[in-house]
Amino acid sequence: MKTKRIIRETIITILLCVAALTTVIPFLYMISTAFKGQVFVFEVPPQFIPKNPTLQNFIAAFASNNFGRYFLNSIIVTVIAVLSILLLASMMAYALARYQFVGRKFIYGLVIFFMTMPAMSLIVPQFIVAHTLQLTDTLAGLIVLDVAQNLPFAVFLLKGFLEDIPKEIEEAAIIDGASPWSIYMHIVVPLCKPALATSAIIAFLGAWDEFVWASTITNSPQNRTLPVAIATFQGVHTTNWGLVFAASLIAIVPVLIMFISLQKYFVKGMVAGAVKG
Amino acid sequence: MLSSPAFVIQDEKMRTKTARDTLTAYLFLLPGLIMLMVWLVYPMFSALNISLRDWNIMPGAVSPFIGLKNYLTAFQDDFFWLSLKNTSVYALVTVVGQLLFGLLVALMLEKITRGKVFFRTLFYLPVVTSWVVVSLLFKFLFNSSSAGLVNYFLVDILHVISQPVSWLTEANTAFVAIDTLGIWKGVGFSMIIFLAALQTIPEELYQVASMDGASEGQILRYITLPMLVPTIAMVTVMLTIGAFQTYIPVALITKGGPLHRTEFVISYMYSLAFNDLKFGYSSAMAYLLAAIVFGISRIQMRFTRRDSAVG
Amino acid sequence: MKKKLFVVIALVLVASMVLAACSTATPVPAETEAAATVAAATEAATATEVATAAASSEPVEITFWHTYNEDGSEAKLLNETLIPQFEAAHPNIKVNSVTVPYDNFREKLLAAISAGDAPDLIRTDIIWVPELADKGALAALDQVMPDFADLKSAVYEGPLSTNLWKDHYYGLPLDTNTKVWLYNQDLYKKAGIDAAPATMDDVEADCQKIKAVDPNAYVFAADGLYSWVTLPFVWSFGGSITDDKITTADGYLNGAQTVAAYEYLLKLYDEGCIAPVIMGDGVDVFTGFASGTYASTDNGPWSYSILNNQFPDFKFSAAMFPAGTAGSIDIVGGEDISMTAGSKHPEEAMEFIRFLESKDYQLQMMGVGQMPVRNDLANTDEVKNHPYLGIFFQQMATSKARTAHPAWSQMDTIITDAGQFIFRKEKTPQQALDEAAAQIDALLK
Repeated sequence: MKTKRIIRETIITILLCVAALTTVIPFLYMISTAFKGQVFVFEVPPQFIPKNPTLQNFIAAFASNNFGRYFLNSIIVTVIAVLSILLLASMMAYALARYQFVGRKFIYGLVIFFMTMPAMSLIVPQFIVAHTLQLTDTLAGLIVLDVAQNLPFAVFLLKGFLEDIPKEIEEAAIIDGASPWSIYMHIVVPLCKPALATSAIIAFLGAWDEFVWASTITNSPQNRTLPVAIATFQGVHTTNWGLVFAASLIAIVPVLIMFISLQKYFVKGMVAGAVKG
Repeated sequence: MLSSPAFVIQDEKMRTKTARDTLTAYLFLLPGLIMLMVWLVYPMFSALNISLRDWNIMPGAVSPFIGLKNYLTAFQDDFFWLSLKNTSVYALVTVVGQLLFGLLVALMLEKITRGKVFFRTLFYLPVVTSWVVVSLLFKFLFNSSSAGLVNYFLVDILHVISQPVSWLTEANTAFVAIDTLGIWKGVGFSMIIFLAALQTIPEELYQVASMDGASEGQILRYITLPMLVPTIAMVTVMLTIGAFQTYIPVALITKGGPLHRTEFVISYMYSLAFNDLKFGYSSAMAYLLAAIVFGISRIQMRFTRRDSAVG
Repeated sequence: MKKKLFVVIALVLVASMVLAACSTATPVPAETEAAATVAAATEAATATEVATAAASSEPVEITFWHTYNEDGSEAKLLNETLIPQFEAAHPNIKVNSVTVPYDNFREKLLAAISAGDAPDLIRTDIIWVPELADKGALAALDQVMPDFADLKSAVYEGPLSTNLWKDHYYGLPLDTNTKVWLYNQDLYKKAGIDAAPATMDDVEADCQKIKAVDPNAYVFAADGLYSWVTLPFVWSFGGSITDDKITTADGYLNGAQTVAAYEYLLKLYDEGCIAPVIMGDGVDVFTGFASGTYASTDNGPWSYSILNNQFPDFKFSAAMFPAGTAGSIDIVGGEDISMTAGSKHPEEAMEFIRFLESKDYQLQMMGVGQMPVRNDLANTDEVKNHPYLGIFFQQMATSKARTAHPAWSQMDTIITDAGQFIFRKEKTPQQALDEAAAQIDALLK
C-alpha cells in the first residue's frame, strides 16, 4: 500500500514538474534573451544559454534617458494609489458593513455593478473628464483612475471580511462613547489587516501594470510609467528584443518581491473573496 | 399604549440615531463615493450621451444628436460582429482551458505531500506578471521565422511540422498564440481557488467512500467534482468577464491585424476612438459590450444560484 | 432635519451630474471663441503675446513634439546642442522638446488638439499636413509670418509643396529623405553578382543566384505591404495612385502599370525572393539584413545610424533603386514643421521655426543623417563630402511624393490592405486594385 502511494505520488510529482516546466520556459527564454546582443536574438537554433552573454541590454535600459524616471513614476503612482485605495475602500466597507442607512443597498449594488463592467468601456468619457480637470499627461491623472478602477473590488473584499468579524468589540467601544472615526481607526482597521494586505497586493498589481489608461493620457516621457515605456521599446524600424526583456525583468522585480513575501495574504484573500462570491 | 410618552421618546431617540447613523455612514462613504461618481458613474452617463451623437473632437465644434444611429451602425458593421465572434471564441477556449488545467493541477497538488508551495508559486508566476510583458514575450516566442522558439520546438525538436508556421500573419494561427497566452496566464489563478475549495471538502466523505471500496476515479466523479460545482460556476463567471475585457494581448501582439481579422471588441472599440477619432461610434460599441458582458454574467450567475440552492 | 439635508444634497449631486452630462454636447465657451477662425485666433494670440512678452520677464516655454527616438543621434544633437544654442540666442524662450513615438504620433496629436492640450510646434510627417490643415489644427504660416516669402524661396519646391492645402501653406519643410537600394556586397559577391541590380529584371536574376549559394536567403526584405514599401515599385513601373489633379484613382491605381508592379512583387514573393516578414511578422529587416539573411532592402538614411549602432561590424553598400520601365523612382519622405492653430506663444514658436530653417541648423542635422531642405546647400563642402548622403541626393532627383490629401491616412490603409489581399491570394492583383480604387474614389469625392 505504502509503495503504491509513493509510486503514485512520484508519478504525479513528475507530471507536475513537466507542467511547471512548460509554465516557466517562457520566462527562462525571456531571461536568456535579455542577456543576448541583437545579433543573437534570432539565431538558429535558439539558445537557452547565450553564447556571448552580455550586460549591454541592462546597461542600455538603465542608461536610456529616462528609465530611472519611468521606474520612479511607476512607484509614485502605485504607492499613492494603493494607500488611497486602502483608505477609501476601508472607509466605505466600514459604512456598508456596520451601518444601516438609506441607500445602503443601492450603493453596494453600485460597487458590485462596477466590478462587472468592462473597465475600458468608459475610457472615452474618462479621457474627456481628465482633460476638463486638466489631468491629462500628469501622474495625478494616472493615480485617480487607478484608484477609481480598483476601488470596487477592494470594497467588496473588505466588506465581506468585516461582515464575518463579530461586532462585540466595536459595540463595547460605542458604549464607552468612542467616536465612529476612532472606532474605525483603532479597532476596525487593525482587525482588517489580512484583508487590507490582500487588497493592497491586488491594487498594487493593478496599478503597477496599468497600461491602457497610461498610454492614452501620457504624452511626455517625464510622465511615462514602466508598462508604457516597455511597450514603446518596440521600435519603428527594428525591435531590440534583448532590451525589451531586460527592461521587463527590471520592471518585474518589485512585483515578484512583493508577491513572494506577501504570498500567503494574497492567496488567502483571493480565495476568500472568490469563494464568498 | 403606543402613544404613551415613554414610547414617543423612544421613537424620537431611534429616529435621531438613525439620522445620525446615516450621516456618519455617508461621511465615511463620501471620499470613495466621489471617486466612483466622478470616474465611473458620470462617465457612464457621459458615454451614453456621446454614443447618441456624431461626436466631433475638435474644440468648439458641434456634435449633432443622431439618436441610435451609432448603435445601428454597429449592428451593420461586419467588423463588429467579427470582433464579437473573436472575443467569444477566445472566452470559450481560454475559460475552458483555465478551468481544466487549473482543476487538474489543483487535484494533482492535493495528492502530493512535499513541494506544494514550490509548485504553487511557479504556477502562479504568470498570473502576477504584467500583461504588457507577457504579451511581448509571446509575440517573441511565436515569431514567424524558424528562429521563433515555438517554431523551433515544433519543427526541429518534436518534428510535428516540417516548415515554420507564420503564426502572427494569419488570423487563425494568431489566435493560437493569443489563446495559449490567455490560458497560460490564468491557470495559476483558478488553481489557487480550486485548491482552497478542495480544502473545504470534508475528509469524512473521502474516508467513507474509500472504506466502501470506491476507486480514485469514482471518488473524483461522485464526490469531488459535485462538491466543486459551485466553485467552478463562480470561477467561470469571473473568468468570462475577464476574457471579454481582453485588450493588451491583441493590441501588442497583432494590433488587431492582419486586415482587422484579429480584433476583439475592446481593441476595435479603442481603435475606433483613438485611431479613427470616432468617439460616438466607439462609445456605442462600449455600451453594447457592457450590455453583453452584463447579460452573460447574469445568465451564468443564475446557474450558480440554482446549483447552490439544490446542492 | 438631517435626513432632509441629505435628500437635498443627493438631489443636487444628481442634478449637477445630469446637467454636466448634457453640457458636454455644447462646446466650452472659451474654446469656441478661440477656434472661430484660424487667422483671427492667431492674430488675437499674437497681440496678447506681444503684450505679455513685454510685460513679463519670465522665459516663455514652447512645446515641440517630434518623433526622434530618445536614444538616437538626432535627439541627442537636438536636445544637447541645437536647442541650447537657440535658447542662448533667445533668453526669453525655452523649448520643451518632447519625443512622441511615430506609431502614435498622429493619434496623440489629434487627441491633444481635441483636449485643448496641443503643443505649439510639431515636426509632422509630410503626409499628415493636409489632414491636419483641413481639420483647422494648423496655423497658416503664409498668413502669420511676415517673412514667409523669404523662407519659402530658400527651400526645395518638392518638400515645400507638401505644406500646401487649399492655397495656403500650413508649415515649412524641415527635413526630407528618400530611400535607396542598400545591399550586402559580400553576399552579392559570394553569389557571383558584381554590381547592384540596375533593373527589376536584374533583381529577379540576382535572386536566383543568391538562392543558389544560400537557399535560406532572400534578395529583398521589407516589413510590410504599406504604400511606403510598394510605391517605389509602382512608380518605377509607370503606375500611380491617382491622376495629377487627385480627382480619381480609377484607371490609375488599377491601371495596367500598377497591376504589373504588384504582379511583379507577387511573383518574387512566390519564388521565395522576398522575405516573409513583408506579411507583418518575422525577423525584422535590419536584423535580417545584418545577419546575411536578407541580401538587400530599400531604406532611408536612418539605416546608417541604426545599423552602425546595433550591428557595428556589419558592412553594406548603397545604390540607386532598380529601374522599371519608367525609370528608377523612389519615394519622398520627410517632415514639415508646423505651428498649431491654438498656440499660445506664436511669436516665440515662429522664432524657433526660423531657427529650424537656418543654414546652421540644417547643416548640423545633416551630420546625423537628416537631409536638408534648403536649396542653397548643394554645393557646400559638407554636402559634397558627406559619408553617405550623396546617393540619397542623387535618388532624390527623381523621387515622388505621396498624394497630398486630407484622407491620405485612409487611402494608405486601403492600399496596404489591397497588398495584403494580393499576397494572400484572396484576390487577384487586378481585383484587389479595382476594389481599392473604388474605395479611394469614394474618399476623394
